[in-house]
Amino acid sequence: MVIDIAGASVPDWVALAPTVALGLGAMLLFVVDMVEPEPGTSSNATLAGISTLGALVAFLVAGSFLVIGVGQPDGTGAVSLFNDQLVVDGMSLFFVVIVGSVTALVSLASYDYLAGQRYQAEYYALVLLAATGMSLMASANGLATAFVCLELSSLPSYALVAFLKDNKGSVEAGLKYFLVGALSSAVLVYGISLVYAASGHLQFDAIAESLGAEPEFVGVLGIGVVMVLLGFAFKTASVPFHFWAPEAYEGAPAPVSAFISSASKAAGFVLAFRVFLTAFPEIGGLAGGDPAVDWIVAVQVLAVVTMTVGNFAAATQEKVKRMLAYSSVGHAGYALIGLAALNAPQQDFVLGASMMHLLVYGFMNTGAFLFVALTEHWDVGRTFQDFNGLSEQAPLACAAMTVFLFSLAGLPIGGGFVSKLYLLGATVQAGTWLLGAALVVNSALSLYYYSRVVRAMWFEEPDASLEVDSYPTSLYAAVVIAAVATVVLLPAFGLLSPSAIDAASVLF
Amino acid sequence: MAGAYDFVPAIAALPLLAFVVSLFFGQYLPRRGAEAGIVATAGSLVLSMWTALTVAGVTGSATTYNENLYTWVAGLADSAVTLRLGVLVDPLTALMLLIVSLISLLVHVFSLGYMNDEGETGLPRYYAGLGLFTASMLGFVFANNLLMAFMFFELVGLCSYLLIGFWFRDAGPPSAAKKAFLVTRFGDYFFLIGVVGVFATFGTGLFAPIEGAETLHSFPELAEEAIASGASEAGVQTFFGLGPEAWFTVLGLLVLGGVVGKSAQFPLHTWLPDAMEGPTPVSALIHAATMVAAGVYLVARMYGFYLLSPTALAIIALVGGFTALFAATMGVVKQELKQVLAYSTISQYGYMMLALGAGGYTAAVFHLTTHAVFKALLFLGAGSVIIAMHHEENMWTMGGLRERMPVTYYTFLSGSLALAGIVPFAGFWSKDEVLYEALIHGLGSEGSIGTLLLAGYAMGLLAVFFTAFYTFRMVFLTFHGKPRTDTARDPEPVRWNVKLPLAVLGIGAATVGFINMVPVKKVTGAEIDYLHKWLAHGGIELTTSEHYGELLHDVAHIEQAELGPLAPGAVSLLLALAGVGAAWTLYNVPEPEEHTDRLGGVKTLLMHNYYQDEYQVWLAQGVTVQLARAADKFDQGVVDGVVNGISSVSLFVGSRFRRIQSGVVVNYATLMTLSLVLLLLAFVVAGGVL
Repeated sequence: MVIDIAGASVPDWVALAPTVALGLGAMLLFVVDMVEPEPGTSSNATLAGISTLGALVAFLVAGSFLVIGVGQPDGTGAVSLFNDQLVVDGMSLFFVVIVGSVTALVSLASYDYLAGQRYQAEYYALVLLAATGMSLMASANGLATAFVCLELSSLPSYALVAFLKDNKGSVEAGLKYFLVGALSSAVLVYGISLVYAASGHLQFDAIAESLGAEPEFVGVLGIGVVMVLLGFAFKTASVPFHFWAPEAYEGAPAPVSAFISSASKAAGFVLAFRVFLTAFPEIGGLAGGDPAVDWIVAVQVLAVVTMTVGNFAAATQEKVKRMLAYSSVGHAGYALIGLAALNAPQQDFVLGASMMHLLVYGFMNTGAFLFVALTEHWDVGRTFQDFNGLSEQAPLACAAMTVFLFSLAGLPIGGGFVSKLYLLGATVQAGTWLLGAALVVNSALSLYYYSRVVRAMWFEEPDASLEVDSYPTSLYAAVVIAAVATVVLLPAFGLLSPSAIDAASVLF
Repeated sequence: MAGAYDFVPAIAALPLLAFVVSLFFGQYLPRRGAEAGIVATAGSLVLSMWTALTVAGVTGSATTYNENLYTWVAGLADSAVTLRLGVLVDPLTALMLLIVSLISLLVHVFSLGYMNDEGETGLPRYYAGLGLFTASMLGFVFANNLLMAFMFFELVGLCSYLLIGFWFRDAGPPSAAKKAFLVTRFGDYFFLIGVVGVFATFGTGLFAPIEGAETLHSFPELAEEAIASGASEAGVQTFFGLGPEAWFTVLGLLVLGGVVGKSAQFPLHTWLPDAMEGPTPVSALIHAATMVAAGVYLVARMYGFYLLSPTALAIIALVGGFTALFAATMGVVKQELKQVLAYSTISQYGYMMLALGAGGYTAAVFHLTTHAVFKALLFLGAGSVIIAMHHEENMWTMGGLRERMPVTYYTFLSGSLALAGIVPFAGFWSKDEVLYEALIHGLGSEGSIGTLLLAGYAMGLLAVFFTAFYTFRMVFLTFHGKPRTDTARDPEPVRWNVKLPLAVLGIGAATVGFINMVPVKKVTGAEIDYLHKWLAHGGIELTTSEHYGELLHDVAHIEQAELGPLAPGAVSLLLALAGVGAAWTLYNVPEPEEHTDRLGGVKTLLMHNYYQDEYQVWLAQGVTVQLARAADKFDQGVVDGVVNGISSVSLFVGSRFRRIQSGVVVNYATLMTLSLVLLLLAFVVAGGVL
């Protein structure tokens, strides 16, 4: 098959170039690591550079594909590969942009964070492999492929969480993450088997076609759909499969927390979007008529519970990183609105709002965790009190953190304000007032615990022993880039949201 | 080709520019920003003259102009209210633009002597304030709708606050500024409700209709139609089940709240005497052309609306007449030069309100014009005296300044004769016409309105005596007799920048009355009532005084009695002369004494301004503070209680949620499995899938 990209005829797999770039980057890291004369002598800069470069290439290529129309209706149309097991369209490219940008930031920040650590090549290779898996999740077009991609992104993540081998917390977190992940995968794969049993297909379009509006084995299918939903809830850190998140985020090296909580969550969401919108639209009643399996209501319940549990638990935390972990759970609840409010008249707007929220979230949440990485680098401690008066020592980083936190809360200082506004608009359109109310109430609550950090940084007197002695360049660069992106997304939101909504509209 | 009307916005924009220049670059200029203000107001004056000439038909054929220039809130639906900024120029606007820019220019020049030469600091702030003040007033004058007028009205209030409190390091000025701001704000509160009411009622705030492809109606026009043919016919929405007449009266009175505050009418006049704490040129600007004039101008601007409500007219007349007398009596006992002038201002604006209430539109505008000239003159003259006396304002420390500062004396005398209403000075003609209009309309109208107008007339007439008395008491105490202190014996000389504005205004105070000598016209038949003709012409027929005359007759049913102007004029002149005579006998002696003790208990009453401040303070402390306490209790107890309750519940719930996270993986697995089962049960079994 041949497709036409920017006037040139190229083989159709070129559409997968962003994913290929990530995978090649990982391979290159292996090669560099293999040819090093003695273990641990490769230049850290080289490793971090390759990793950052690979992610950047993926980000830029995916972005330019979006611009020139690859995989989109006005360009090549959705590109189907490998017997429809993978598909490249606006939706997949949009999420590769998110994954690529987060990976690039994390790789950049890791250069300083990992200084002095062993097994750096393995770290970066695992990051890139996980990113490859995530970008493939965005393209997966069949349940089997989806499961494999999901595992490709999960397995490196387990290892990454446990990367600090001498740190008890890190190892414990890795093990817990792995065990919960194993259970979740079991639930997911069982769900997949039930769906297969009910429909006889694994490819999404084929499932939808075979099920029709009134499937034969509704019971089996219903159980399968709920289990698939919960399997994805693990990946997106949604209640009730969120238990791993606070532990893993807190124990993991902070850049890894940033990576998992932003990129991995986004990948989980794109997979959920695609499965539910291409495989289960008619049985969910999206095509009109009574739903055979009302998964929209299930998602609504999950969304409300996830928002509430995440935010309420975050409100009582003492450690900043753990607070961010719970807030990340809360944000999963917001993003679930994209599926939960699909009974609105403009479905593409609802889904687009959720996609945009994940994009903005990618920057602001990554930035917030990277700031925590910075504080870990400085060894200032983990609780709110430990951040007291930090702005006197590091005003720039604290300003960036303030931007992240307020944007996460939904104040009009960053794109988080508009994306939450869109999500609220989506709930209003759908008439699901409970979702909207939960969004508003939880956002208000979140302002409380985010402001605690801001107050500590700017208004409290610093501890006498607080001393910041170094200003790591790459960590700082990553934090500042993320902050700038967060702020720029406020005015630029209107420019980007049409492409998200267009990408979403293809799925309906 | 661009005509004068295209430059009307620049009339306000120039002083605004001066505001910016003075504020940011004033400190680098040799005169600290006065240059910018003088150039800008001179430019405004030239443009105003051009505009006036165009309105007169000399430099253009279109004698009026009314356009929307900018839409800042567009109503989406057809019937939705659209908020616009626009310019309305008719004879009234043109006249007022001239007055404001002229007075403002002279005040700027005078300030060179009063502020710069006296070595004041903070001058960029001062000139910036003057610029913004002038710009706000000019914008208010040419506003073509009520909301825009309200916005500039508020800006005027803000600027007066800033300027009255210019010497913010002393104790008095900040307090006076706050008082001026709060008291006028109290009135403006009603005005704001009135603005909203007008928009809700008519869907437009236009003062005059805009002709074009689609004619935009004005609210006085719609109100007129509603009264003639019913509210629904005119597309007008009334509220609270009131008929058009009653509802329009309510609206008119609400807007009048703002007018009473700004024009310092009873009972909201208390801020004005305190406002004397500001620099004297500012007082001149406030009293002659801007702040205080804004209220009366607003009534004149929407006069077509007030004419539809005889009740509102009667109230305006009564408030005006009462204020005129009330303030004049308080002026009699004041010891400070500027205090006397302050009460005279309140009193004179009372006359204008009386004229408006009595249907004397032209008379009111006439008095507004002459008063602007002679009151600016008197304040600037007082400023000159204050410079000479090294900022001593008590008249009992002066005396005998006549020989030592002749320019100030003769110009001040000209202004005083005008204020007292002595023929042929400006004030005589305008005050006489005000009283004449009140009299003939009071006599001609039947029922209570006639009685009320006559009551207003009686109070206004009585006030003439007091006005003449306190005016000449002031003149004699200040300039005549022997100097009573060393400073008065050797006053500081003033320079050209003080004398020039005084001379210009002194000539004006003597002559500006000749624009409208109605009694002379009635006697000789010569067509010399130029102001009448000026206000009666114009392209917008609905805002001409002729149309107002018809409305007065047809809708308000206020009729004119047949009465010559000579007898009433002679009565008021005699009263004025009596007042001057009384002052002459009591105070034009080498060493005058205080005669106020002869008044007995009345003196105490007058010195305390009829206890107006006291009862308002009591209202604030006894009533408002109590209400505020109750509201605070509610806020602290109920509102905060709910908020705190929510927060503690949230934190409690949060701590419970936290406990779910036990740290034991087996628990997690159990919980996950349990919730999976729960979901399956809920959505598969209860959902009817199985």
